[in-house]
Amino acid sequence: MRFEAHPTNRRGTWCLIVLSLGLSLLPTGCAPARGAGGADDTLTIGAYSVVREAFREGVLPAFAAHWKRATGRTVRFEESYNGSGAQSRAIESGFDADVAVLSLEGDITRLVKAGLVDKDWKAGPDKGLITRSLVVIGVRGGNPKGVHDWEDLTKPGIAVLYPDPKTSGGARWNINAIYGAGLLEDKQKPDLEAARDLLARVQTNVVNMDSSGRQSMATFERGTGDVVVTYENEILLQAKMKGEDAPYVLPSATLLIEGPATIVDASVKRHGNRKVAEAFLAFLRTDEAQRIFAEFGFRPLDPRLDPPGRKPLPSRLFTMKDLGGWTKINKDVYGPDGVWDSIFTSKSRSRTP
Amino acid sequence: MSQVTRGGLSARSELPLRAVSLLYLGLMVVLPLAALAVQAAEPGPAAFWKEMTNPFAWHALKLTFATAGIMVLINAVTGTATAWVLVRYSFPGKKVMNALIDLPFAVPTVVTGLMLVALYGPTSVLGTFLGRNGMGIIYQQPGIVLALLFVTYPFVIRSVQPVLLEMDRSEEEAAATLGADTLTTFRRVTFPTLWPAILTGTALAFSRALGEFGSVVMVAGNRPLATKTGPMYIFGEIESGNRHGAMVVSAVLLTCSLGILIVLNRLQRRGEAVHGH
Repeated sequence: MRFEAHPTNRRGTWCLIVLSLGLSLLPTGCAPARGAGGADDTLTIGAYSVVREAFREGVLPAFAAHWKRATGRTVRFEESYNGSGAQSRAIESGFDADVAVLSLEGDITRLVKAGLVDKDWKAGPDKGLITRSLVVIGVRGGNPKGVHDWEDLTKPGIAVLYPDPKTSGGARWNINAIYGAGLLEDKQKPDLEAARDLLARVQTNVVNMDSSGRQSMATFERGTGDVVVTYENEILLQAKMKGEDAPYVLPSATLLIEGPATIVDASVKRHGNRKVAEAFLAFLRTDEAQRIFAEFGFRPLDPRLDPPGRKPLPSRLFTMKDLGGWTKINKDVYGPDGVWDSIFTSKSRSRTP
Repeated sequence: MSQVTRGGLSARSELPLRAVSLLYLGLMVVLPLAALAVQAAEPGPAAFWKEMTNPFAWHALKLTFATAGIMVLINAVTGTATAWVLVRYSFPGKKVMNALIDLPFAVPTVVTGLMLVALYGPTSVLGTFLGRNGMGIIYQQPGIVLALLFVTYPFVIRSVQPVLLEMDRSEEEAAATLGADTLTTFRRVTFPTLWPAILTGTALAFSRALGEFGSVVMVAGNRPLATKTGPMYIFGEIESGNRHGAMVVSAVLLTCSLGILIVLNRLQRRGEAVHGH
């Protein structure tokens, strides 16, 4: 490529210089002014994508009404929804959310380590949680492949979808459910080899690993795959939004998903809105909010609020605590040389003679 | 360079302009790349080597280069042919066709991926047929090549086209008069003029393909050691907290891109010196 300079007058040159200087200085000083509302309260919410519909269409309007009744003040929300890990990192690196609603405990632990969240955030009676759900298997209408349990996902000819646990922290709930079902076959004697084996056999039937749970669900809805491993609330939400049945099965052993939320102390200190933030967090655990969550597919913290018609809990339900906690699982399963990596390397080794 | 500026600008305005463009280049390109290089290199060569030869990273790198390589071979041929048709023949709809060529640049890459899945995916008519015959495209390696072909479509065409337009056809006519058939004329007369432009186009396409993410993530399937390419590996490592692993693979992709661009630039300049205008 050759460039030929056209005769330019000096003024043109200076214009160019000023313009390019101006451009290079552009991305500064764009922060919006806060607290300009006077009598209004502003609450910034940094949440993971899965709760978007429940928040936007249910919980936030309900809290705004509640706050108006209680204090006569209007609350304005600034909402951000993102993958749990991405949201957590955004808050860590300066996004000033007052309330963080994330998928995994580890994503809040990151904020504790950064000194943004109080280390006692789990001290309350609900242990910092606001929602519960289950890992389930979404199937096609009429369950044509006759899938009922994890073992069925290992049969030849079954196309399985789940998101990539490397790119989606939330996807780890799904993988952990399969892993745990293998591990805790006998609760007294955790069998690591059985866990690895079940996971490896399911993985051979996986056709596509999307980068998030939402993506995976969307791929399933576009017609790819026979089953999708996902959250019960995702399936029920799709059914609610489309007004049609979204069939799924509850495996005999599965994982209870527990979604945490917390106040980000550093942000409320800066914004001076601790009162409304605390009221919001308390509101999330009221029967009113819990019913809304249930309406959007979650399982309420209090099982008595379960809407009628929910499938009964499986016989062997386990929690992350039963698996040894997130720290242990993140290291043993997803860490370097963990179980997750080993199911690929050992497989490829056995393939090449 | 100095000749050009002497002709166009006075010495007084030349200096600040040069300084500002260098500063701009530094801010926009060199600084981020240097930061990447430093972060990748900081823990030392042993750590770098370990991250690069980790089976998952290594496979992702190999897959990225292989798919980009296949794409480039196809594009070199089809792109040159398309440019040829556009320049040498006149036919109804030629202007529309010429305008369509740049369209892949304007389509968001995720949309590209989505479109390819709809067209060739396991649920499409074609996908069902191919899948039944053991030739699945989407969620398999050929899907990656397909996505890369789409997103890099204009590169070769747009670099060959102007050269063809400017080319003096009297040499070709002379060859024909001397009894050379069409193929010989192309091989001995036309191609020697065109190849620097073809190289430029393929090099740009190759570099672009090494970093392609949006469309590939939709069509590849992302299975480790099977269909996960470099950029997807990088994304996964960042998301799961292995920043260094991500930086190392990025640095490898980047260095290769840079190396290819430099080598091809040299080749091209030599080509121009021999067959230049």
